[in-house]
Amino acid sequence: MRGLFPGVRLPGVQLSGAATVAMLVVAVVVNSALQPNFWSGYALTSNFATFVPLVAIAVGQTVVVLSGGIDLSLGAQVTLASVVAVRIVDGQLDRLPQAVAAALGVGLVCGALNGLVVALVRLQPIVATFATSFVFSGLALVVLPTPGGSVPLEVTTAYRAAVLGVPVALLAILGLALLWWVLRRHRVLRHVYAVGGDPEAAYASLVPVARTRISAYVLGGLFAALAALAVLANTGSGDPFVGNELTLASVAAVVIGGTSLAGGRGGAGGSILGAIVLALVTNIVFFADVPTTYRQLVNGAVIILALALAGIPALQKRRPAA
Amino acid sequence: MSAPTVETPRRALAWRPGPVALAGAVAVVLVIAGELVSPGFAGYGQLVNLMRVAAFLGVIAIGQTIVIIAGGGGVDLSVGKVATFAAIIGSRVMAGDDANIVPAVALALLVSAGIGLVNGLGVTLLRIPPFVMTLGMIGVVQGLILAYTGGQASGRAAPALTSLVNGRIVFDLPGLLFLWLLLGLLAVWLLRRTTFGWNLYAVGANRTAAELTGVRPGRTLVLAYVLSATFAGLAGILLLGYTESVFLDLADQYMLPSVAAVVIGGTLLAGGIGGYAGTAVGAIVLTVLQGLLTTLDIGGAWRTVVNGVVLLVLLSLYGRQRRLRS
Amino acid sequence: MSALLEMTGVRKRYGGVQALDGASLTALRGEVHALLGPNGSGKSTLDKTLAGTVVPDSGEIRIDGAQARIGGPRDAHALGVAAVYQQLSIVGDLTVTQNVVLGLEPARRSGFLDHRAARDRAATALERFAAAFSGRLPLDRPAASLRPGEQQIVEVAKALARDPRILVLDEATASLHKEQVEVLFEVVRELRAAGVLVVFTSHRLDEVFALCDRATVLRNGRTVATVDLSSTSEDALVRLMVAAPRPEPASPPEAPHRASAGTSAAAHGAREAPVRGGTAEPGAVALEVRGLTTDRLRDVDFTVRAGEVLGLGGLQGQGQSELLLALFGAARITAGDVLLDGEALPLTSPARAARAGVALVPGDRARQGMFASRPIQENLSLASMRRRARMKLALSAPAERRAARSMVERLGIKIGSLNDPVATLSGGNQQKVVIGKWLLDRPRVVLLDDPAKGVDVAAKEEIYAIIRGLAAEGAVVILNSSDNRELTELSDRVLVLFEGAVAEELTAAAITENRLVSSALRLAPGETL
Repeated sequence: MRGLFPGVRLPGVQLSGAATVAMLVVAVVVNSALQPNFWSGYALTSNFATFVPLVAIAVGQTVVVLSGGIDLSLGAQVTLASVVAVRIVDGQLDRLPQAVAAALGVGLVCGALNGLVVALVRLQPIVATFATSFVFSGLALVVLPTPGGSVPLEVTTAYRAAVLGVPVALLAILGLALLWWVLRRHRVLRHVYAVGGDPEAAYASLVPVARTRISAYVLGGLFAALAALAVLANTGSGDPFVGNELTLASVAAVVIGGTSLAGGRGGAGGSILGAIVLALVTNIVFFADVPTTYRQLVNGAVIILALALAGIPALQKRRPAA
Repeated sequence: MSAPTVETPRRALAWRPGPVALAGAVAVVLVIAGELVSPGFAGYGQLVNLMRVAAFLGVIAIGQTIVIIAGGGGVDLSVGKVATFAAIIGSRVMAGDDANIVPAVALALLVSAGIGLVNGLGVTLLRIPPFVMTLGMIGVVQGLILAYTGGQASGRAAPALTSLVNGRIVFDLPGLLFLWLLLGLLAVWLLRRTTFGWNLYAVGANRTAAELTGVRPGRTLVLAYVLSATFAGLAGILLLGYTESVFLDLADQYMLPSVAAVVIGGTLLAGGIGGYAGTAVGAIVLTVLQGLLTTLDIGGAWRTVVNGVVLLVLLSLYGRQRRLRS
Repeated sequence: MSALLEMTGVRKRYGGVQALDGASLTALRGEVHALLGPNGSGKSTLDKTLAGTVVPDSGEIRIDGAQARIGGPRDAHALGVAAVYQQLSIVGDLTVTQNVVLGLEPARRSGFLDHRAARDRAATALERFAAAFSGRLPLDRPAASLRPGEQQIVEVAKALARDPRILVLDEATASLHKEQVEVLFEVVRELRAAGVLVVFTSHRLDEVFALCDRATVLRNGRTVATVDLSSTSEDALVRLMVAAPRPEPASPPEAPHRASAGTSAAAHGAREAPVRGGTAEPGAVALEVRGLTTDRLRDVDFTVRAGEVLGLGGLQGQGQSELLLALFGAARITAGDVLLDGEALPLTSPARAARAGVALVPGDRARQGMFASRPIQENLSLASMRRRARMKLALSAPAERRAARSMVERLGIKIGSLNDPVATLSGGNQQKVVIGKWLLDRPRVVLLDDPAKGVDVAAKEEIYAIIRGLAAEGAVVILNSSDNRELTELSDRVLVLFEGAVAEELTAAAITENRLVSSALRLAPGETL
């Protein structure tokens, strides 16, 4: 699984895979000390169930960041895909396939729109996706103005079940890792790395730069759709604000996972661990008896610190770029 | 705004409408459209009311203009949250008593400036992209608000503040509009007639050249973020004076419009070009547009969509990047 | 034999600079064709138009007699053109194998990569260069971890893996060791034997003579001549490359009276004394540089007297710009001292250097020197406005206008309004604005990096007069120039740099164009290093 932890091979500039793993170990140890029965089947199942959306969106963000971009609309895409799916399924199991297809379609269209705006209209990714995020979250409110709708009971039950003692949610995370592993073997991902690493060199080397960028945003959208399905399976109902917090968390997970925000360097393996670290921190804050009113501050500070971690190498080599 | 040009008379013939004039024209068209759709839309009282709503956005967007001119993807998404926090601090310290106005305003602005300082240091020293840094700061400030209030805003605006903001002085215009004018002139002076302003444009236009001209880009950028947060704090105080009591998401919704107002006013997101006059007109355009959408009975959800689309269209007009092939 | 490649009337303009002005090139199948010319003559641009990364404004390209439309690298590839650029197209984070096959990865129909085929292809491409690598072929190492010479070889192998009919090598030997150059030449000769056309650009004339059959010489974006190298002497080739004498030379190239030229220029170039303090007597050592070392400079020592113009010569890119940046606090100095009038200069940032009386007119005007979208007024005021501001903050519009206007008049800058963006000016006037902003700050030390590059002849002469005027008023002037004529006309002394160190110092009568060219070229590696 060499491709899952490429950060291990490349020193400097970004967090190494070792640092990511170290953070994970510390988070697990602290969490298991604080959360009663952390290792019990029930706690594991419910923990993993809450991790999946962030893990999925972090993988999607990784692909976009690797291509040299960033997608600030991923959270809004999760929201839009989830409310569309919940409206379609409307509690009936036989409509599940249509709902899943609709969610993936929303992710595809949103991703394609971002890709077009970034690659062809040539807007800065960060501003362009910021603008589209308002379009998507506004549409989500149109589709589902207030929290509601229901997911078939079978789905939520299955999501929290276990197969041969392994929680389904953990299988979902492994499935996402496997999906990434497969994608890495595809030409599109190779081109994503090349374009993110050095767009001009990639262009001169016959890589289709614009098409590659669009593909990256489309993949990001598809992973956002998977995150949306996980959100629905976990909560059992629709919420037109559910994705708000996920965008920034996905960026933070990517950074903790050792992917360079400059693009071209890193991988989703690290981001998956990074997402789990972030989710565990939320858990820790909860079980450490931090007063309710301080929880958000601690969580916000953790994300800023994670982003700052990526900037520390910049401190060392600070010199005018004359 | 800038010195009159006397050197070449033919410039007058080559005049083309700049973004400011265009935005102004759009505002007029929107008002006329509003009057046609719903007679009374362009009435004096109604227009004054729209201007009052625009004033808060206009003051918040002062800082946004400064940060965006600084370039390098500069933007401050935390302005809305900072304004909310400043209002909450102001309200609690004032506790409805005129005697507390000075300490309340001072504390609120100091905390705001501190938040701006952290933003600025994160962006310059740690090289965190400004969008990401200030988006992350929203979460932190929200956390600070919860920690400070315990989830329940308290206090009340001092009566003097309320009468300053809401009191009608001349032509039945509220004091708020005169305050906006004053702050706007301050912003224009800061940008056009101070070393800070000229350094800011230089850093935004070409950071490398600025550094090689003896400008200290880091210091200029940090100051830009401090000013942005401070003006946001000021807007929060004005909002407090208007609403008299606060709630926990008082000014949050100003995040997107503050960026949009700057872009509509012709300030380039790439930095180095633009000014506050455009932003002020941009704030009016957006406010009139919102008023029109409300008149047309278009709900909040669609309004958000329209805002996003408006921003995208404007960006495609002004904010494109260069091609790989030369 | 019919021509495989015919390029005619190729023109390309970048902003204010005409990089190619009707260049042409005709080359045959199975030949190694050198493309020669001084710095900025358009060689690289011509290479790039062939490779598709630059689209010319006009001109015709024929390959095998058929008109070729090259709108991008993909078109070039389809026509059988592969290029090795001066700026590598290697993606550092990808492995060597991934780089060699980049853009043309062997893959199944579904798009999934065929790793084995990729490795095979990369191994085949690199095998011919095996001797150029220390140890085994680094197929699986990230390209960024290779030494520069090895990366260059990978770049060539990548081009060869595309199986070209025409191979463009743009300064492909610049970072290679002697042994690696041998290996590369062997491969090029094999390609020639196989009927491939190799277009070879290099500064090193010994290499050109060793490898190439014919040479085309460019100057100022135009083709001067195409010669058969077997019947051309090195001297003759250098003469083709060095510009013909200008019609109106201000003074003969070897004029011994530089000082008097300076004073006469001072009278017309500058009316007010721009030099601050004025304590240094003419002739006293003012600037002293001892053991200056940076990433790209090694142990540079020299002194400059007040009122002296010190030229920097040599092939471009040998550390001249780096030296000027270091003296302005814009490059990290790892060792050495720089003293101005016996006191250490604070060179930790450009801001501190500027406040200590140093000024830099940088080499890349658009990127480093000016604020294209800002008004001329601000461009002129920026470096010195702190002197005029009240409380370091408040600016007075009339005072700033007076300052800017004084400089516009003094330097004869042709402008419409001070409020026009500086980008609306011609190249020469833009450069005068960049120089003028520093004159307003009355610097003691003026560093100029190719200040007359890409400006027209008249503006050049005016800039020369400004430089002479500065020296006449007692400033320390250090001038880097890619134009040897400029160095001979302006310098009192010239330091020839090579690979970041001072290789030779030329004084007085020794400063001639021929001496500068030969001094720069004779030092090419393989001879002394």
